[in-house]
Formats: sequence, C-alpha cells, structure tokens
Amino acid sequence: MLGFRLSAEKPPEAERVNDVVVSRFEHVYEIDPALMTEHVRQQDIPNWDFRRIVDSRWEHLAWMHDHFADSILSGEELLAEIEKED
Amino acid sequence: MAIALLDSVIDDLAAICGPDHVFSGRSAVFNRARVPAPFPAHRWEDHVPSAVVLPTSAQQVSEVVKLANEHRIPVVPRAGGTGLTDGAVPLRHGILVDVKLMNQILELDHANRTVTVGPGINMLKLNEELRKHGYIYPDNPASYPCSLVGGRIGTSGWSLIGARYGHTRDLVISFEIVLPTGEIIRVGDGGGPKVRKSSSGYQLKHLFMGHQGTLGIVTEATLELVPRPEAEFSMFFSYQDYMDAWRATGDLARSGVATLAGVVLFDEWKIKYLRRDDEAYIPQPDSVKGVVACACYGNADEVRVGAKRLLRIGKASGGGYMGDEISQGDWASRHDRYATPQHGRTRDGQVALMSWHCEDASIPYPELPVVREKWHAIAQSLCDRSDMFDDWGMFAYTNGAYKPWGDYLAEVDIGIWEMKWDDESWAAWVDAKRELARVSIEHGGSISACHGSCREGEVDLVPVELGGGFEVMKTIKRSLDPNNIMNPGKYLLDQAYEEE
Repeated sequence: MLGFRLSAEKPPEAERVNDVVVSRFEHVYEIDPALMTEHVRQQDIPNWDFRRIVDSRWEHLAWMHDHFADSILSGEELLAEIEKED
Repeated sequence: MAIALLDSVIDDLAAICGPDHVFSGRSAVFNRARVPAPFPAHRWEDHVPSAVVLPTSAQQVSEVVKLANEHRIPVVPRAGGTGLTDGAVPLRHGILVDVKLMNQILELDHANRTVTVGPGINMLKLNEELRKHGYIYPDNPASYPCSLVGGRIGTSGWSLIGARYGHTRDLVISFEIVLPTGEIIRVGDGGGPKVRKSSSGYQLKHLFMGHQGTLGIVTEATLELVPRPEAEFSMFFSYQDYMDAWRATGDLARSGVATLAGVVLFDEWKIKYLRRDDEAYIPQPDSVKGVVACACYGNADEVRVGAKRLLRIGKASGGGYMGDEISQGDWASRHDRYATPQHGRTRDGQVALMSWHCEDASIPYPELPVVREKWHAIAQSLCDRSDMFDDWGMFAYTNGAYKPWGDYLAEVDIGIWEMKWDDESWAAWVDAKRELARVSIEHGGSISACHGSCREGEVDLVPVELGGGFEVMKTIKRSLDPNNIMNPGKYLLDQAYEEE
C-alpha cells in the first residue's frame, strides 16, 4: 500500500529549461541535478511536497502584500487604460 | 576562548537582572558571537562573549553598565543580531547585553501619532498590532521579519520604502539611551519626546543614531506612525542595455511622484545570477541586461495616478513591463534573503552552500555605472582566487528620504562558502572589502548607506572618509566612555585612548 502511494507521488521526468535549470511542473524550476553531485546532493521529494512548497510560497507572498496595504493595483490593467487614453 | 568572569561578577549580574536572565553556557554565548555579515568562522571562539544578560528595564541596563565600569569589563549591546556590519560582534569578549526581552509596546498615542516601544520589538510584530488601529510603522529593511528597533537605531538603518516614508533616523522621533557610564538620558530633535522638529541645542539624536553600540544601549524609543496604506503598486521593467536601465532609474526617481517608495536597478551580473537561480528570471531571454523596479504606497486614488505616471516613464524609456506576476511577486519577496538558505556555484558550476553577503555604499547617481565595473572587477578577483566566492550581481536603490534623486544605496552581492574560511582567505576578503570601500570614496560616495562601516578592511578608510570628523568622533568617544568599555575595538576608536 505504502509503495503504491509513493509511486503515485513520484514527480514526472524533468524537462531541460536551460544549461543549468530543469523543470518538472509548470513554472517550478530545479537546478540541474548534474550540478548537485559533489558538495550538495539533491533529495527525492514526492509530488505533494512540491505542491506544499509552491503553495506555501504563494501564501507567503499574499500574506506580505496584505501585511503592508489593503489592496494591490495591477500594472497590466493600468497599462491597458493608458493604451486607451493615449 | 572567552575570558571567564569572576564568580562575584556573575553573582552581581544575577542580582541585577535576575538569575534566570544571566547565561554563560556554551550555546548562549556561541550563538551570540556572530551576525550575518562575513564572519571569521574559523576563529569563532575569538568572538564569544564571557556572559550574556537579558535585562528587562533601563535601570537594569544602567546597573550592568556601572558594574562593567567598576571592573573594566567590555559591554556589547545586541538586538536582533541581524546586522550586516559587525556592531553586535564582541571583539574583546565581555558582557553581552541582549535586549530581546524589552519588547513591549509601552504607549500608543493617537493624538500625537506615536508609539513608544522597548528596543527588543520587531517591526513586523509591531505592525501586526498597529494594523488594528489603522497605522503602520514604515521602517522596512530586508531584515524586516527579524531585526529589532534597537538594532535599527544602532545601525541607523535604511528602509526599502524610505523614499516615501523616510529611514530609521527619520522615523525614530526620540529614544532613551544608557550612556557608557550608566546615566540614562533621552535624546531627540529637542527636549520633547514627541517633537519632530526643534532648534534647541545640539541634535543629539543623530549623534547616537548609528553608533554601532559604541556610545551606549538604547532602552526605549518613540516612533512615527503613518496611516496604513490603502494601496500598493509595484512594477518591474526589463531593458536590453544596462545604460538604458540606468537612465530609466534616474527618470523614475526624479518623477516627483509623492507616493513613490523606492526605485531599484539590477545590473547585468545580477540578471545573470537571477536567471540561474530565481524562478522569476529563469524564463527571461538572454537579451535582458537590466531590470528597473519601483513601488508606491498610499491612498488608493493617489497611488493610482502616480502609478500611471511611472508606467508611462517606463514605456517611454524603452523598457518592457515584465507582468503583474513578477512585479507583484518579486516585490513581496523583498525580505527573502534573511529567510531562505542560499547556495552558490563553484567555477565548474557545482552547487555549494554559500551565504549571502552584500557590500553596501552610498554612491552618487552619475557614478553608478563606473563603480559597478570597478566593484565587479574586485569581486571577480576573489572568484578567480577561490571557489569560496561567487559574484551574485549588483543593485542600486534610491537612497534619499522623500527626495530620492541623488545618491543611491549600491550593493554588490557576493556568495561566500563560509565553511571554507581560513586565515588566508579571510585576509583576501578583508583586502577586497577595503578596495570596495576605496572605490566608493574615490567616486564621492560613502563606505556604507545602511550597514555601518566598522568591519575589518572597510574601517581602515573611515578616517579618510570622515576627515576631521573622525577626530571629533574620537573626542566624543573618550568623553562619553572614559574607560572604553562600550563595544571596544570598533571603528578604530581605541585610537581615542592611545593618544591620551
């Protein structure tokens, strides 16, 4: 049972992004594992842990915005207004 | 190893602060030996205090200082221990006074828009309380989640939103300080603890602002409150040429937008580093050679108008808006350097555990491009010498309060594999630090905009930067601290006593 659950949480194969970075999930980047063989080793982590880390990151950023101000203005929306005005 | 204090001194400290607030055990003293600034970890034991006390009142601090004078024992003040110079690092062991327990909100004055606090309070936690009343205390360093008000005064801190709200010196209205001889005084612009502008007598607040623990221990501070912002706006623009980005930075900083809180410029080396190790920049094309960002805070209608003006300047300067996700996300992550583990690369590209070290200066705007080249040449010489060092690029950030168009806080970030320190590599680092400072002075700048300039290497040039002012510093030090017990060894101030 445990083995089945772990295998279901195995991350997909990495796709190369550039010379030093790979990716397994959209917008989630990893250092090329070949660059982590001498001084620091990469760990295998399951999908749920990837999701936890990414979700925690977004949660932190949202918290920081809310900590400093009541609202955020969107540059994309303001640029669209500028396009119309100009 | 730390010099052991007499049992009778430990007993006296326990009588003053309470037996539960005096520590001399290994973990208590070793954990208070360093700060995040480059630290000679291979000589850790040279910097451990002999004992740690955690007082809870100004009177206790005063009695500790008087006891230290009686026995000629060095005293080192420490708040968050997050400084990027070595103000809180003991150079002569002694008694370390940790003010973390003095972290209360003592008074919230709605009529005068002030809050009075102990020096051990953290700005993030303070603002969680102030939010209930619609206020914010807008001192916002990169160390915002972990630095403390007492340390901000000790370093004369710099704020990421200082262009809008001012820096620590502007936001601390007055404070109480225990002098090196134990007297307790209050300093401000004048006499009244909540007076923002006075012409009465010397401006003593500024004398004690940024003293790096050499002139006393802050025990209370009265702080400025501003309305909690209704709106935040941040924008990131990319450029294909550093000089275009530099010109855009100047245009934005000179825009006159009242809600503008800061403008920051990332150089080519910084973009190269971020493209390697930062999720927002990894997808950026190689053509991006500079990024300019700015942020605004204030009333929603005012921020909206100002944001449009800044966006127009960004477009007119040839920059490309990088999108809301990067603009908002990167701004929200501005404190992350203190919260995340860092890694760097050896020359063959392998990942190694490195910690982040930013070397700062105040640099006039016209000098930024050439200083950048000289600083990176110094950083490269370190990288060529050893795998211990990794150039993480440079940024420049508007430095002036309220009128952010003159000099800039410039920093070159250097990753250091600190587990590799030895005497030879430490000496190479100190030489490089001195050269970075020399370049800053030669180009009309100051050795430090926000960290302080008392570390090995840079401190050698403080007399050059200050000229006759350094002689006045020595006279003041000798007058206020006749026994040289307050953080001795810092800022070359031992010279004040050698000349007697």
